[in-house]
Amino acid sequence: MKPTNNQIKLFTPATIGLLLVIIFGAYTVLMRFKMGDIHTNMQDDFPWGIWIGFNVLGGVAMAGGGFVTASAVYLLNMKKYKPIARPAILTAFIGYLLAASSIMIDIGHPLRVWHPVVMWQIQSVMFIVAIHVLLYTTVLALESSPMFLEKLKLDGLKTIVEKIMVGIALFGTLLSVLHQSSLGAVYLIVPYKLHTLWYSSILPFSFLVSAVMMGLCMVSFLMILSSRFFKCSLNMDILTGLARGALVTAAFYLLVKTYILLSGPGLSAAFAGSMESRMYLLEMSVGVLIPLFLLLLPGIRNSLAGILLVDILVICGVIINRLNVSIFGMLRQAEEMGVQYSPNGNEIIISLFMVAVGALLYKLAVKYFNVLSYEDV
Amino acid sequence: MEASFLVDMTKCIGCRGCQIACKQWNGNKTDKTKMGPKFTNPVKLNAKTYTNIDFFESVNGDKLTYDFARNGCFHCKKPACVSACPVSALVKTKEGSVIYRAERCIGCRYCMLGCPFNIPKFEWGTVFPKIQKCTFCHDRLLENKIPACAKTCPSGTIHFADGIENNLKEARRRLSENPGKYFNHIYGEKEVGGTSVLLLSSVPLDQIGYQKVGDAVIPDLTWKYIGGIPAVIGMVLAAGIGSWVITRRNKNMDKEDNS
Amino acid sequence: MTNHWIDFKNADVILVMGANPAENHPISMKWIMKAREKGAKLLVVDPRFTRTATKADVYASLRSGTDIAFLGGMIRYILQNNLYFMEYVANYTNASFLVNPDFKGAGELNGLFSGYDEKTRKYDKKSWSFQMDDKGIAKKDLTLKDPNCVFQLLKKHYSRYSAEKVSSITGTPKDKLLEVYKAYASTGRPNRVGTELYAMGWTQHTVGTQNIRAMTIIQMLLGNIGLAGGGINALRGESNVQGSTDHGLLFHILPGYLPSPSAALVDLKTYIEKLTPKTKDPRSVNWWGNRGKYITSYLKAIYGDKATTENDFAYHCLPKIDEGMNASWLNLFDQMYKEKFEGFFAWGQNPACSGANAGKVRTALGKLKWMVNVNLFDNETGSFWRGPGVKPADIQTEVFMLPCASSLEKGGSISNSGRWAQWREKAIEPVGGSKTDSDIMNELYFRVRQLYLKKGGKFPEPILNLTWNYGPKGKDGKIKEVNTHLVAKEINGYYLEDLYDKKATPPKLLGKKGELCQTFVHLQADGTTACGNWIYSQSYTQKEGKIINMMARRKKDDPTGLGMFPEWAWCWPVNRRIIYNRASVNMKGEPWDPKRAVIKWNADKLDKNTQKPGVWEGDVPDGPAPPMADEKTGKYPFIMRADGMGALFGPGLADGPFPEHYEPLECPLPNMMSKQQVNPAVKMFFDAKGGLKEDSYVSCDIRYPYVATTYRVSEHWQTGVLTRHLPWLLEMVPQQFVEISVELAREKGIKSGEKVTVSSGRNQVWAIAIVTRRFKPFKIGGSTVHQVGLPWCFGWQYPEDGSGGDSSNLLTSTIGDANTMIPETKAFMVNVEKAKG
Ligand SMILES: Nc1nc2c(c(=O)[nH]1)N[C@H]1C(S)=C(S)[C@@H](COP(=O)(O)OP(=O)(O)OC[C@H]3O[C@@H](n4cnc5c(=O)[nH]c(N)nc54)[C@H](O)[C@@H]3O)O[C@H]1N2
Ligand SMILES: Nc1nc2c(c(=O)[nH]1)N[C@H]1C(S)=C(S)[C@@H](COP(=O)(O)OP(=O)(O)OC[C@H]3O[C@@H](n4cnc5c(=O)[nH]c(N)nc54)[C@H](O)[C@@H]3O)O[C@H]1N2
Ligand code: SF4
Ligand code: SF4
Ligand code: SF4
Ligand code: SF4
Ligand code: SF4
Ligand SMILES: [Mo]
Repeated sequence: MKPTNNQIKLFTPATIGLLLVIIFGAYTVLMRFKMGDIHTNMQDDFPWGIWIGFNVLGGVAMAGGGFVTASAVYLLNMKKYKPIARPAILTAFIGYLLAASSIMIDIGHPLRVWHPVVMWQIQSVMFIVAIHVLLYTTVLALESSPMFLEKLKLDGLKTIVEKIMVGIALFGTLLSVLHQSSLGAVYLIVPYKLHTLWYSSILPFSFLVSAVMMGLCMVSFLMILSSRFFKCSLNMDILTGLARGALVTAAFYLLVKTYILLSGPGLSAAFAGSMESRMYLLEMSVGVLIPLFLLLLPGIRNSLAGILLVDILVICGVIINRLNVSIFGMLRQAEEMGVQYSPNGNEIIISLFMVAVGALLYKLAVKYFNVLSYEDV
Repeated sequence: MEASFLVDMTKCIGCRGCQIACKQWNGNKTDKTKMGPKFTNPVKLNAKTYTNIDFFESVNGDKLTYDFARNGCFHCKKPACVSACPVSALVKTKEGSVIYRAERCIGCRYCMLGCPFNIPKFEWGTVFPKIQKCTFCHDRLLENKIPACAKTCPSGTIHFADGIENNLKEARRRLSENPGKYFNHIYGEKEVGGTSVLLLSSVPLDQIGYQKVGDAVIPDLTWKYIGGIPAVIGMVLAAGIGSWVITRRNKNMDKEDNS
Repeated sequence: MTNHWIDFKNADVILVMGANPAENHPISMKWIMKAREKGAKLLVVDPRFTRTATKADVYASLRSGTDIAFLGGMIRYILQNNLYFMEYVANYTNASFLVNPDFKGAGELNGLFSGYDEKTRKYDKKSWSFQMDDKGIAKKDLTLKDPNCVFQLLKKHYSRYSAEKVSSITGTPKDKLLEVYKAYASTGRPNRVGTELYAMGWTQHTVGTQNIRAMTIIQMLLGNIGLAGGGINALRGESNVQGSTDHGLLFHILPGYLPSPSAALVDLKTYIEKLTPKTKDPRSVNWWGNRGKYITSYLKAIYGDKATTENDFAYHCLPKIDEGMNASWLNLFDQMYKEKFEGFFAWGQNPACSGANAGKVRTALGKLKWMVNVNLFDNETGSFWRGPGVKPADIQTEVFMLPCASSLEKGGSISNSGRWAQWREKAIEPVGGSKTDSDIMNELYFRVRQLYLKKGGKFPEPILNLTWNYGPKGKDGKIKEVNTHLVAKEINGYYLEDLYDKKATPPKLLGKKGELCQTFVHLQADGTTACGNWIYSQSYTQKEGKIINMMARRKKDDPTGLGMFPEWAWCWPVNRRIIYNRASVNMKGEPWDPKRAVIKWNADKLDKNTQKPGVWEGDVPDGPAPPMADEKTGKYPFIMRADGMGALFGPGLADGPFPEHYEPLECPLPNMMSKQQVNPAVKMFFDAKGGLKEDSYVSCDIRYPYVATTYRVSEHWQTGVLTRHLPWLLEMVPQQFVEISVELAREKGIKSGEKVTVSSGRNQVWAIAIVTRRFKPFKIGGSTVHQVGLPWCFGWQYPEDGSGGDSSNLLTSTIGDANTMIPETKAFMVNVEKAKG
């Protein structure tokens, strides 16, 4: 791959679209901090909405590509994937920054976001999550630092970082494993609120596995997108490799999900015809069954379009899973309490704002830093 | 000893003295409300209302019952909310109450998600929102006074005792001495591993708005995960270092071959 | 109350009919629940399934205004099934008395009793008298068989009240009727006691007094009066309303229930002669025989040295009511409306919302020259000139507001329903320059007096001669601040001369001149004692020179275990916790039920005073005389009655010696009991002869098809002046509402929580519909009658945004009970429609 930076135009229609969303979003964010809380549809009996469900849970899952690639490249020394390490890690970094920002917007006291660092409460999954977000964001910053150090011509520092990269990667992988799973563990606290289609004691594990699956697809998806938008060449070898990885994890994930279903509410629950069962089937077919089936077909596994389709399906499927756990699976309980939840405009605009900021940051990074042209040193 | 309520709803006359006493003691404000369709007002607990009486009309055969259900924190023995809180803003005191230390709270609302009874409430739409919930009148307990709501209750519905066991004993006595009067269940004896507030009622409790919850201790569920973390760390590190060592060796061997 | 709050715990059966204690007297439920825990049955009879009803063993509904039919059926049930307490009935009531053979009952005269005069709407009660023997004592037939004896007349009268008939009037399902009858009648045995709790559900009717009479008949048939856990108990209203009636706040009585003099009672002698009941029966105590002592001591208390034997103890200074006139609430506002008054003190009240037919009341206020509102807050009355539909420019009334201190800002006594006078200390100083009621009165008194002194007047004596020694005077001669202790002492009374027991040899000193009276037994008719209120004599007393405020006592001893707490506060009369307690024992003085002995006769023990054997133990008995079995000195139990007997036959009331069912002024159907639709003795403000449009009424009219009643909620106090401003309470009950049945709502397409308009023949209000199963339509004579209910705690003034609504008294009518004139705000007719817009 050759650097194609200068070919990237700053103002494309897509970017202007992003900017518009960002302006709107920024205003809403401002209002949220000025007026305390802008009106959201979150309420006492439904305290967490899409900022947690989509931005945090979805965002973090999407960032799964970072640790998967990092561990492949640095720990398993799979050289082949080195070219995608930078974009994958950068994406994860941006993803985490945004997840962290979403949390800041969501919580009541953003200025006290540091409290968990000094007020340990190790019984709290939330504490575990908080510490992980903090540490892993740092790790991701380190992992993506060579790119910036390069630009700043701080070669000495860069060398040091690269020397300890393996250690960093190992630590990152550890944090990721814990973090991805702990996001699932967050929901272990709601045995009576979360629908039994999702509630399970192995929810953390299920989150981890799905994050790996999604990570692989996310990286692959990004590669394909980049090649279209930033006109860089594509390495089909890497893509098929990622697809093979996805196949294996998806198969494993299916096992996990089947176990959850059978050990929990049973097969019939999936076909109960309720809103939950429909969401469950949607999640499973979009995120696991169809991709798995497609990936089993070598023709698809080896075609660009096929891979792209699978990537999109898996990404959507896992996001649906996160929304199912955090929102759809919790609605029945809320209804019993006499409330309903669907995000209102303010919540949606802030969520979109986060996505837009992420895309724009990525674009800018690609334009100004050596992201896609990364070659081993 | 741990403070405990035995709330015997068969005695409640729905006068709502407890609701007022709570607001008065805690200096809580009000919301603009409307009348109907039921008498319950405020319709639900909220950041300004730690306890309320919920009115339930139901017909069994030709018999009309009009039940009054007292809502409020259960002060669980092993509270989910306390285990949820990342900064120990919520704590279970030795007096038995679960109280909130506002200055620590980051406003993540995980306690709200975690409480099986949806008790902690949030001051939505304020700049420095707090979690609000019944304190078991911790300040009064410390002065050897019984909680304001119990003190006010004219009918003996809210029976305060020092020690959950004492109330359990009393509840069992009432059940055994009045066959047929009660729905035969002490809500809170086993629920979520036991709570400091015990309920007796003449009708199944889920008919009058109480959540059906199991006996599992909720903090144990999350602890199973957290407790496993050291093992995961060990495994990941071992696997990571192992694979790194192995692949590094392979890489070096490759290099040797190539040269 | 004959008994007291705590005593409810001693009952076996508690009938709550005409009250809703869970909401209006919540703390009483504590004792009701205690009784239930020991196995007592709670019966609740109310048009609506109240919060009290939730705790009932039996709940029976009835259409508003049909209680006499319900109770009449119970009397019949008791008599027909021989469930009455024969020994009690025969010996302690007038069951055996023979009535004048001319007497005719409602059965014979189609709803009327003999002696009715249609023109005056009054009874000539001559035929209601008893046959007397030559000694002047009523003739009796102790076998109760004589067709003219009270017992037989009672039987005859209520034989018409069969369960079927009753059910067709009240709408109560027959099985429920019988369930209540059976449970309550079970107390007709010596070892079972039943109590009845009532309040406004009974009194606010054109037949209010007779509702209560009907129950006393039942209580006497069952032998429940005088016993612990029995009696007939009015759950009184405003916190000190008991005290206020004790002290003569009502127009027809002076303090201590001495009748207000009328113009015909020209002098004290006539007053005493005409108003003192007499008996020739030596075994009757006839306590009211002492009336002369009490009125004289009262006059001495208020006019002091200016009340002398020569000037008839200043009797001429007492205000007199013109013959036939009555200064009840309805009449006052009627007269005000007719511009018969210049001024009005609205003192601690809010008639613009509490007064029946409030529209008329509001208009009446505008016809005054001036009005003084003495209150804690401005209210709808004080601000009537800017109320809805009123143009301030049209109102000439000058309104003065005198801010008054609240109950917490003043010390004094409060008498609860159980007649316990309890002393309260002031908790805080009056805020914002407000003054206590007594200081406001003091101020007024002083200024009026100054005016009389300066300018003279038609009749200055009553003011100039008043004793007013309630504290040290300032330079101007005004009492600086009223000391309530001095008022309380004046009420208790003083010996004005040394008092000797002249029967003893040598005469024994009973009380020293200048000291506080020890008991009303010492009061004299010769002007040697002063007493502001004889029933309170002993409340602030002196023993061996030591002054004791009995009302401030706080000792928690309970020697009988019945919860009488004789040393907690003080109870009138003479600290007797259960009145008519001599009826709680048999003729030998043994308690009917030894397990709850209120008093018992100990024949062996020496009486400390007389040194003779035989004393009563337990509560303070109704007089020290030995039990009735003692032919010579034994006395009858009902000492306040001239004949000493409980009155099954009650010739004293205006509307008949036996309660008879009449329909409310406004009702859905013709009276099924007789041709007499409405209580024949009520004062009509509007009828064929005419009347104000404001007073018109509509009965049996399809435009107003639903029976309505008004009631309270525990969350608000009265017209809500004290509670609507309290956000906590307003949050719970924020708006005027109307409770309607699921069936009516369906018929009308009304959903719970929707705004509706409730209209009556006089006015309309909006309300939020609460659709509930707690009201059920009545099946009455083959048709369906719906009933609805509204609280009356709202007023236009607050909440300021009008979100609360206005008083439901805009709907009620101008009509009152035949005896008391209490307005009929518990039964009237309305329509309910979905609100437009
Ligand atoms: N919270 C609160 N407590 C109060 C007051 C208050 O305003 N608020 N007011 C105080 C005062 S001044 C008073 S006088 C007392 C009054 O005390 P209550 O008499 O208990 O008061 P109400 O609610 O007016 O009426 C009682 C019941 O009578 C029923 N009722 C209506 N019509 C009939 C009928 O025809 N027959 C029968 N059997 N029942 C009928 C009503 O449905 C109602 O439930 O309460 C005192 N206590
Ligand atoms: N429709 C309907 N109407 C009814 C009834 C009903 O059941 N239905 N019930 C009737 C009954 S039982 C009653 S008792 C009446 C009550 O009728 P009201 O006595 O007219 O009504 P309240 O609202 O009690 O008014 C009392 C006023 O006294 C003021 N106040 C309080 N404390 C003090 C004090 O220490 N000093 C002075 N000066 N003022 C004080 C309060 O602010 C309040 O404005 O209403 C009657 N009206
Ligand atoms: S009821 Fe909820 S808020 Fe109360 S202690 Fe239990 S978990 Fe915590
Ligand atoms: S909202 Fe506050 S109290 Fe609740 S869990 Fe979060 S930090 Fe703890
Ligand atoms: S214990 Fe205290 S804080 Fe809790 S409901 Fe009762 S009065 Fe309110
Ligand atoms: S104070 Fe007691 S009786 Fe009244 S509503 Fe509360 S729990 Fe029920
Ligand atoms: S007077 Fe006071 S204590 Fe008594 S029942 Fe009414 S509100 Fe309760
Ligand atoms: Mo009253």
